[in-house]
Amino acid sequence: MDELRKSFHHDLEKARGDLALLAARVVEIIPRATSVLLDGDLEGAELVIRGDAEIDAHAVDVEERCIQILALQAPVASDLRQVVALLKMIAEIERSGDLAANICKATRRIYGHELDPKLRGIIGRMGEQAASLYAAAIEAFRENDAAKAAAVDDMDAYLDALQKQFIAAIFESQAAGHIDLQVAVQLAMVARFYERIGDHAVNMAERVTYIVTGKVPDHKKPKRPQVNIDSIDDLGAAPGSAEAT
Amino acid sequence: MPVDTDSQQPHDVSPSTHSSDEVFQLKDLEVHYGKFRAVRDVNMVLRKHEITAFIGPSGCGKTTVLRCLNRMNDVIDSAKVGGQVLYHGVDLYGSSVSATEVRRRIGMVFQRPNPFPKSIYENVAFGPKVNGVRSKSELDGIVEESLKSAALWDEVKTRLKSSALGMSGGQQQRLCIARAIAVQPEVILMDEPCSALDPVATARIEDLMQGIKDRYTIVIVTHNMQQAGRVSDRTGFFTTEVNPDSDRRTGMLVEFDRTPVIFSSPRDKRTEAYVTGRFG
Repeated sequence: MDELRKSFHHDLEKARGDLALLAARVVEIIPRATSVLLDGDLEGAELVIRGDAEIDAHAVDVEERCIQILALQAPVASDLRQVVALLKMIAEIERSGDLAANICKATRRIYGHELDPKLRGIIGRMGEQAASLYAAAIEAFRENDAAKAAAVDDMDAYLDALQKQFIAAIFESQAAGHIDLQVAVQLAMVARFYERIGDHAVNMAERVTYIVTGKVPDHKKPKRPQVNIDSIDDLGAAPGSAEAT
Repeated sequence: MPVDTDSQQPHDVSPSTHSSDEVFQLKDLEVHYGKFRAVRDVNMVLRKHEITAFIGPSGCGKTTVLRCLNRMNDVIDSAKVGGQVLYHGVDLYGSSVSATEVRRRIGMVFQRPNPFPKSIYENVAFGPKVNGVRSKSELDGIVEESLKSAALWDEVKTRLKSSALGMSGGQQQRLCIARAIAVQPEVILMDEPCSALDPVATARIEDLMQGIKDRYTIVIVTHNMQQAGRVSDRTGFFTTEVNPDSDRRTGMLVEFDRTPVIFSSPRDKRTEAYVTGRFG
């Protein structure tokens, strides 16, 4: 039989596509923010912060279109799940852009301070892992693939472990007199920003699962086993990265 | 789950053993009009003090099934009902069952309001009178209570002797519900009760349904999916299948589940396609 409500479904697909594009911009700015931090690139920091403002504006646009769809089209079933998921995911994307901008703002605050190689190494890996997580979440979304979405949570465990390793390295570096307390605090916050970006990617992936299966994310689920970072070679490939697969 | 089923069997419709909250149990229900099989293999349980909605495209058999629930199909000579319609465990089509008694216990409200060309009072009092109520005070009480239940009393209490035909369409439909209530049925069947009404009158009927569901079991056929979502506890989705030996279509129950499930995460792809408008 013929498909009905074509215009509505077209609008919904358009909103989906725009959300995927915005998420892709977040994937782009995470490594840029990492480079800004490692290189002390203040000009680059401005560009990322400006880019975040653009993401915010587009996010409002997608959100308004979703509200319009809810108000005018009364979506049900998979259409309803799509719109609800889009509204949730757009908030995750908007917040992730803010976090990338926050990394750049931290760069300004620690400008002129040298970081030792160990700290730089972990920052690089956190940046790569956060971007990989985000890319995996978008891929799952684009392909409506619940299995790929489930894998994002596992990848986040590695990012969490990196964050813990980084905090320990900050203490070591500060104790050795390589960085002062002000820099240590800023770096601890940077670690938190990456970790939160990972959490937002996991939340997006959970919404993909919701779209596909109708299962609402369970935030009371048992804690996942922690990754033992010591068992991973310092320069080894992260789970989910191109090298690891 | 909505993505993984190609099953041709309806979901969650297998009747279990009879329990106290079961009002109807339909077992392999099928209806023929002459040689034409209009609907087949309907299995479902309708529960006490719930509103059950039947949705589906035209010709899917939802009204035919509704009419089986109070033997309205008896009035069509060519109609033949197969399988079983159990009402509190008793076969409605059993030889010892009186169709009149069935229709007293299981009332029906039709698509178009059909008040008798009598006064408002007489419309409501008609059923009780037929059932032998003679006392004026008792009839007055039944009329008042029925009109109150149908959320109509305040609008008509000063003109009970006026003709029912002078009422608005929405008021006439609520009068028909009051008329159905007056004979103290257990079940009220509604066949597209709001399709001839404007949105305000529709909202009044929907509010009324919610207001009386703690006393009655309601089954509603509706073409308005939003209405099914708004008012019902459970929804059955019917569709049609083309018969291999003719171009005529037979109706069938595809999925029967709690209404939020049907409209948020239906388990059958055919339900999903229908409610999202991906086929029509």
